[in-house]
Amino acid sequence: MGGGDGKHGTVVAPVPLSNSPRKGEGAGWSMGRKMLTLPPRPARIAISSLLAIAIAGLIAAVLWAILEAATEPSSASRIDIPHLLRMTAIQAGLTMVLSLAVGMALAWALNRLRFPGRDLVVGLFAAAIVTPGMVVAFGLLSIWGRNGWINQASEALFGFSLGNPAFGLSGILLAHVILDGAFAARILLARLDAIPATRLKVGQSLALSATQRFALIDWPAMRSSLPGLGAIIFLLAFTSFPIVLLLGGGPANQTLEVAIYSAVRLDFDLAGAVRLALTQIAVCAVVILLASASTPVVSVHGRSVAPRWRDALPAQALQWLVLLLATVGFALPLLSVLIDGIVSGFGRVLAQPTFWWSLATSVVIGSASAVLTLLLALALTLGRAASGERPVRILLGTPSFAYLAVPAVVLSLGFFLIVRNLGVATAQAAPVVVIIANSLLALPFAVATLGPPLDAMVRARGKLIRSLGLSGWQQFWKVEYPLLGKDIGLMLALAFCFSLGDLGVIALFGTQDFQTLPLMMFRALGAYRSNDAAAIAAILLIGTILAFVGLPRLFERIAHASR
Amino acid sequence: MLRAEHLAFAYGKEAQTYDFSFEAEAGAVTAISGASGSGKSTLLDLIAGFLAPKSGTLALDGANLLPLPPETRPLSLLLQSDNLFDHLSAHENVALGLPKGVAKIEGRRRVEEVLQRVGLDGLAHQTAATLSGGQKQRVALARTLLRDRAILLLDEPFSALDDETRQVIRALVGELTRSEGWHTILVSHHEDDIAALATRRYRLAEGRLTPA
Repeated sequence: MGGGDGKHGTVVAPVPLSNSPRKGEGAGWSMGRKMLTLPPRPARIAISSLLAIAIAGLIAAVLWAILEAATEPSSASRIDIPHLLRMTAIQAGLTMVLSLAVGMALAWALNRLRFPGRDLVVGLFAAAIVTPGMVVAFGLLSIWGRNGWINQASEALFGFSLGNPAFGLSGILLAHVILDGAFAARILLARLDAIPATRLKVGQSLALSATQRFALIDWPAMRSSLPGLGAIIFLLAFTSFPIVLLLGGGPANQTLEVAIYSAVRLDFDLAGAVRLALTQIAVCAVVILLASASTPVVSVHGRSVAPRWRDALPAQALQWLVLLLATVGFALPLLSVLIDGIVSGFGRVLAQPTFWWSLATSVVIGSASAVLTLLLALALTLGRAASGERPVRILLGTPSFAYLAVPAVVLSLGFFLIVRNLGVATAQAAPVVVIIANSLLALPFAVATLGPPLDAMVRARGKLIRSLGLSGWQQFWKVEYPLLGKDIGLMLALAFCFSLGDLGVIALFGTQDFQTLPLMMFRALGAYRSNDAAAIAAILLIGTILAFVGLPRLFERIAHASR
Repeated sequence: MLRAEHLAFAYGKEAQTYDFSFEAEAGAVTAISGASGSGKSTLLDLIAGFLAPKSGTLALDGANLLPLPPETRPLSLLLQSDNLFDHLSAHENVALGLPKGVAKIEGRRRVEEVLQRVGLDGLAHQTAATLSGGQKQRVALARTLLRDRAILLLDEPFSALDDETRQVIRALVGELTRSEGWHTILVSHHEDDIAALATRRYRLAEGRLTPA
């Protein structure tokens, strides 16, 4: 994915949650006095604490294994870390700037325009968060590659080819901006939609021009989100793996994440990989520290209820143009993946036993990861919401965000070293490790999805729940679970889709007998079986869309039917 | 009789300290009025157990309430809003007030009975989100009836209602207080609510209650 393996943020971006309701803000929290407005749930806090400690311990073990390996004697490594760091930072910085610009323009256009199918278009951009990066990369190759649609049309019409703009830095940036720009647009659109109707009425009565409206109303609404959002996009691009792997086009555009993979799988240079991993962790940790100081990026569900206030015609024309370009830019690669898949024919792939085995592995790993993520996220967020003590809330919240500092390939490398140190065969440990690693990678998104509604519910109804003397089970079954039904579905969909599109973890642990669909697709590309890759990409895309659209609806129904 | 004597409290190191003393009889409404920020909600939180006083006593018919946590204090709450869980039906919201271990059929009968008493028997299966403000307060009152606790704390319960509904709900509260023998404490800054319901009233200013 742009930032990794489909983890393009979510409806709620994974920046550590604010812990800071103060006196007067809600029933549950305040400084310097005993919290009696929260229902006492010691069992929840105890379970949550144990899990938080276990996760922190696991991450510490990963880091320790990496640090320990760093001290091992090694032959001279040819890895040029300053060059890799410079290249990674340049592409991540450019991705961040371009994605924010695209995101702002698209959010502005979507906020203003009303048309049939608008919800579908907004939903399309929301789906960017789970679209596997390698599917988008493949789509770009279909359109902009040497034998892509554009070149075929250019040769047919004008007799010359445009070369291969899908490869190299331009391709990487394009793929990242498609995914991260759509992600930014969804977050910023929520900010614009949340502008109070009264402010818009005042602006409209003052007859503000489109420019004045943007400067005086829109910009202040979006401004506070930009540093946090920018940091997340930088981080996602900095740790991007499959897009750089597929579109990098050689060592010149390699990033740290891809270099780690190459060092382990191709060069067998573990010491070099460890040095790269430590560099990666250090940079990510600094960016996270900067991000956590900024306003949390929290998206808001629902549509704008603001009154209609159309901009002048030139601004409207610009909005339509932005929307058209963005929709075509985002939808075209995905459409090409589907068309190429159909044209290539699913029959050849479906006839391979390896495909069915890979599909089953993907579904089993994805389902197990999603369920494990749900259990971990529920336990952590229920415990966190039950506690009024700020240090406890931070303790319970922080470990789940560790992934942001320990990206997929680094986490995978850590597990790889642990398994090696334990003397367990990699193939034997692979399924368990891949499930745990994918769960940890999805956990920050899951906690960011379930945490805010739970916190809000306890803040608003803590006194009521306590005065009614509801038991912990009654509180969960009657109040929390029905409210969380859709969020649980969304969270499961995110975790499942992330795992379904993952290449970063499986890349180090995959074998001939243990491969998922993305790994099978990657190997098909490596073996120049592009028809097989096209069919697998289309199947991955269809699976992702079905899961992302279907699971939240299914769980909302189940949650309401179960009462 | 519900009696508080020098119930003292302060938020952290804030200069403002509270020292509450009052009496409230059974079957009557005791009103507390005061300016915004004068500490009316703090007083209710102390009575309900959401805040722990630094010193003082709070007793119901001589029984000390202070050691009891909020969930076991003999009281019910009726706030301005957020009294119900919006995703549950009126019936389900009321049923949350049933004591543990009540058989299903008996529980249903009791819920239907109290809903009937507040005039909502036709809306039992409607979700709370679809009810009007007045209907929501009736549901909360039905649950209060079902729980049958000796104290009812009212925190601006009529503020979100239109005039007509306000008078109806106000009358219902007065009637139930008398018939059930509740010690009802009404916090409000609406003079007409207080005049219509209260048999005893206090004014809250500078952290102290004075009979008005």
